Amino acid sequence: MKLFSIGIFPTRRGFFLYRALPFLLVLFLAVSGAQPVLAASAQDYESLRLITEAFNEISQKFVWKKSEEEIVYGSLRGLMNSLDPDSSFLTPQEYKKVLSGQKAPAAEAGLDLIYKDNLLTVVSVMDNGPAWRAGLRPGDHILKVDGHLVRNLTTQEATRRFQGKPGTSFKLQVLRNGLVKPLNLTLTLEPLAPGQVTSKIIKDSYAYIRIPYFTPETPGELLSALKNLKLHHPPLKGLVLDLRNNARGTLELAVRAASPFLGNREVVTTKGRPPEPNQVYKGRGRDELSNFHLPMVVLVDGGTARGAEILAGALRDQFGAVLLGSKTVGLCGVTKILPLRDGSALMMTVAQCYTPKGQKIPGKGLKPEVEGKKPKAVAGVTPPAKLPPDNDPWVIQALEILQHKKTQKLAKKVVKP
Amino acid sequence: MIACRRYGGKPLNPRKIRGVFPALFLVLFLCGSLFLGPPPGATADSREPSLQLASLLSNSSPPQDAKIRVLAQALALVEDQYVEKKPLKDLVYGSIQGAVSILDSHSSFMTPEEYRELQIETKGKFSGIGIEITLKDRTLTVVSPIEGTPAYRMGLQAGDQIVKINGTPTKNISLTEAVKLIRGPQGTKVILTINREGFAHPKDFVITRATIPIRSVKARIVDGGIGYIKLANFQDQTDRDLQNYLKQMGKRLKPFNGLILDLRNDPGGLLEQAVRVADEFLKSGLIVYTEGRTPQQSMRFYAHPRGKVEIPVPLVVLINEGSASASEIVAGALKDQKRAFLIGTKSFGKGSVQTIIPLEDGSALRLTTALYYTPSGITIQDKGILPDEVVKEPEIPAGKSLAKVREENLKKHMLKKGLTDKPWSEPISEAELKQDPQLQRAVELIRNWPPRKLAQKTK
Repeated sequence: MKLFSIGIFPTRRGFFLYRALPFLLVLFLAVSGAQPVLAASAQDYESLRLITEAFNEISQKFVWKKSEEEIVYGSLRGLMNSLDPDSSFLTPQEYKKVLSGQKAPAAEAGLDLIYKDNLLTVVSVMDNGPAWRAGLRPGDHILKVDGHLVRNLTTQEATRRFQGKPGTSFKLQVLRNGLVKPLNLTLTLEPLAPGQVTSKIIKDSYAYIRIPYFTPETPGELLSALKNLKLHHPPLKGLVLDLRNNARGTLELAVRAASPFLGNREVVTTKGRPPEPNQVYKGRGRDELSNFHLPMVVLVDGGTARGAEILAGALRDQFGAVLLGSKTVGLCGVTKILPLRDGSALMMTVAQCYTPKGQKIPGKGLKPEVEGKKPKAVAGVTPPAKLPPDNDPWVIQALEILQHKKTQKLAKKVVKP
Repeated sequence: MIACRRYGGKPLNPRKIRGVFPALFLVLFLCGSLFLGPPPGATADSREPSLQLASLLSNSSPPQDAKIRVLAQALALVEDQYVEKKPLKDLVYGSIQGAVSILDSHSSFMTPEEYRELQIETKGKFSGIGIEITLKDRTLTVVSPIEGTPAYRMGLQAGDQIVKINGTPTKNISLTEAVKLIRGPQGTKVILTINREGFAHPKDFVITRATIPIRSVKARIVDGGIGYIKLANFQDQTDRDLQNYLKQMGKRLKPFNGLILDLRNDPGGLLEQAVRVADEFLKSGLIVYTEGRTPQQSMRFYAHPRGKVEIPVPLVVLINEGSASASEIVAGALKDQKRAFLIGTKSFGKGSVQTIIPLEDGSALRLTTALYYTPSGITIQDKGILPDEVVKEPEIPAGKSLAKVREENLKKHMLKKGLTDKPWSEPISEAELKQDPQLQRAVELIRNWPPRKLAQKTK
């Protein structure tokens, strides 16, 4: 078994995780060597007979003829979808592409999606990216793409659907909570703008740092931003780190981004199915900032996933940061590619992320200690763009916590599992 | 209620596995036992003597088995290596669900629990609130409140979106789950949070459950010897109830000058009943034909002349966008045979027949097995039936908010009884007619029969 550490697909930059693939780490099974030995019980036997029966009925009685390949590939998608959104199925063509090393897409939509329960849901939308400007918002359900009903997809296939040449456009039918009729939106792909880390001083001695999404440059940008802030005069009294709407960070990038705060302490642990050993990921000691112990609030929301969840969990467990906002997505795992006999392949979650204090991230996500104040919902109106930090209600809420030195008290509320 | 259900699916003989997917359940063993001989569990395959393990092992299996072996391999890999141990049953249901999702939107897979629910529902009597619901654009939507039920009295309307049931959001809910939540013992309450065009905010409706009799036929009369019959859906008793009303009307109305058949908001039901209802009004000729992939799914249904109540020539059928499936078969047949004049708006457009196929573990498939065509060979799918004369439902008076009008109508409904809540022999008043322009136009047409358009058509 070949093991590429975290960056899977070698590119011009070398070893970085091709960022549009929404999984963290792929243990690459190069040879189809691991033929599992299955202890088939009578129950297994019954179950498989059921599939055979169902497929026979479909292939004989459904009004339109479906090929065996269509039926079986449909069922493979269904099988992987029933596991988790990071598990998916690769057709032989798709798997070949993966093997030959994919290039980052020339253009994309700037959004992260999840296909679950036959519903394609927008998890996060990049600030002012193409999807944002098209009017898509987190929580929207995409019903149709170019007139075709969204059905039998995997999360990854849906993601790839919105990658391609710059200028490619899609007509989307979108359902939004509170609206009676679906919206018709036009989405045009664009090259991804650099996801730069930005920082801002608020109220003289508080810093606001925004990571819009993770790129290979993010850890370095974050480190230099923090170094600059350390030199700020008057000295900083607190820090707000904004990880909202940030869903595609890799494990490696999250670990490096945590290093300035945690040094060589643990950032995240991945646990596989026993007897697979747990993997502990620690930060880089040489990136640690000396004498940097600021009270910190991390903003998270329903668009915070993967690397951003790892970073938020580590800062909470190891740096005394307080999480503010709403529950995170809960999508953080290690996937492995398993080739199948006909040249197709499964991409399957084989390990899950746990915070340093042992809280499992996938599934339930992280629940912030402080609930963000709910904005007044205006039904039928597209939510406005992100407000500048000074006017952002959650940033204001975070500053209040920092100004009243409540972080320690709130951080204690975190219960050890 | 399933639209246009056919009792075609007979349970498969569990011992008999046929067709192009015969080898899956053996292949799973092969994953582990290709060279090792059968693992301990393989004794199970002694129950399937007709399958030849040897032929698979010698790699001479027909090429069409190749794909199913891929699935068996995938199942084994997931069972063995997925981060959490999952019950095999869940994986199997996930796989079948995935296979069904490549089909059309009317095909689905039901777990044993969901299938049991469905069977209860189609039995005829149940305790609930009396709404037909559907997933329209993935939103739980009221197709139509059944007349005379608690839901109808509380003012639920076709097109209402059910946002919450007892406070639980209905996002991602399946139809059977929703039905389960809404139904319950008689006398208990359910709170539906309804989103409706015109509502500023979703509104709660508290509805007391009752026994819902499945009475699909209701009637009234109109002065001048005109009968009015409304079909709420098509179930086992529909044609019998219809015959009863026709007999009584024939005795009471002398002369019997015309009949209005109201199929508005009738979501359909059993194909067989649609054929019988159409047959009441036709002496001969084709009513509908279905075409599927197998000869059993391709059928032609004809009208017969025997043993019928004499129904006068003037026949007007009311349809709207809530008339679907079986309703469209009846309307289509009567229109194509020029037996009736259609009034209202374009019908829903569902032209496919579903068959429920029980699987051996108690789960079931609901498969679209045929399309149906009106006698002139027109498919209804996505097109719907067009009325001969378009008459729209009443518009909201300018300057009045929709919510206000609904509220007034609601009060009216509570105080007075609806059109078909009164005794059938009580003539529909002029005031009642005024509130229903489509019905009013139908009465007008019968009084001035034949309509010019129909007369031209028959020339």
